[in-house]
Amino acid sequence: MASTGAVAALQAALAAENAAIFGYGVAGAHLTGSSQAAAEQDWTAHNQARDALAAMISVRGAAPAAAQAYYQLPFRVHDAPSAIRLAAYLEDGVTRAYLGLVAVSDQRLRRFGAMAMQDAAQRAASWRGSTQAFPGLTPLVP
Amino acid sequence: MLLASAAALPLLLGAAGCRSSDVFTGPDPLAGRPPLGHDVLTLQAVIAAEENMIDLYQLAISGDSGTTRARTLRSLLAQHQQHLVQLKARLIVPPGASASPSPSSASPSPRASTVSITRLRAAERASAADLVRRLATAPPALAQLLASIAASDATHATALGG
Repeated sequence: MASTGAVAALQAALAAENAAIFGYGVAGAHLTGSSQAAAEQDWTAHNQARDALAAMISVRGAAPAAAQAYYQLPFRVHDAPSAIRLAAYLEDGVTRAYLGLVAVSDQRLRRFGAMAMQDAAQRAASWRGSTQAFPGLTPLVP
Repeated sequence: MLLASAAALPLLLGAAGCRSSDVFTGPDPLAGRPPLGHDVLTLQAVIAAEENMIDLYQLAISGDSGTTRARTLRSLLAQHQQHLVQLKARLIVPPGASASPSPSSASPSPRASTVSITRLRAAERASAADLVRRLATAPPALAQLLASIAASDATHATALGG
């Protein structure tokens, strides 16, 4: 039986992926051309990640949490700029969620979480047009 | 009176026919300075690597100031400097031990003209990979910081065209 900490961290990542899948559906409707193509590509990546996480949770003897029917968006999305901001916001949320996996004792899960953080941080940087010093972490004060 | 000063403890133990190691289950505190912990060694190595990265960026910028490329490099350099501040803030070295990281095994510092974007990109990728390798043995909070810095480095590599 897997540790409850690992399963909880996987469930948190799954929840973030489900939210991202919903959010990209909204964002994609307001995008065109290459931006829309990028949103579709990222939406596909999140679907694949969701399936992988669900399998990892099942293997550990737990039931993957189901996606919600609707997610409250953090702000109104009504045009391309707000859709792009939403995409960056979603990726930030996914990056934060995978940070939880990096703290579990299972070394393979740590690595998996870290690599997923890199993917999400790259997508966030692409949407935002700039990089961050500490993806996934709340602002740090020395 | 049950209290005794630390200085008097060996005398009291000696009078009772005991050595200090008989009453402590951990390393003998009187046997000298304990070795640095693994997390301290990890931090020292990561700090040294971060300092090398900063040197690399500074050399690249000094050979190319004022251009759009230099502005991008300065932005990435600033984030590496933030990494260094956070890493150093977590480094607590026991009194008497050296706080200086051991010399890096990285190649010698190049001249400004030799620091290309390709080289910076490769350094960012290598740094991200090295940090992920270190996750396995790091305490959870440090592992999260290293993973976040690795993610930042990965975005830098992409920003540099990779």
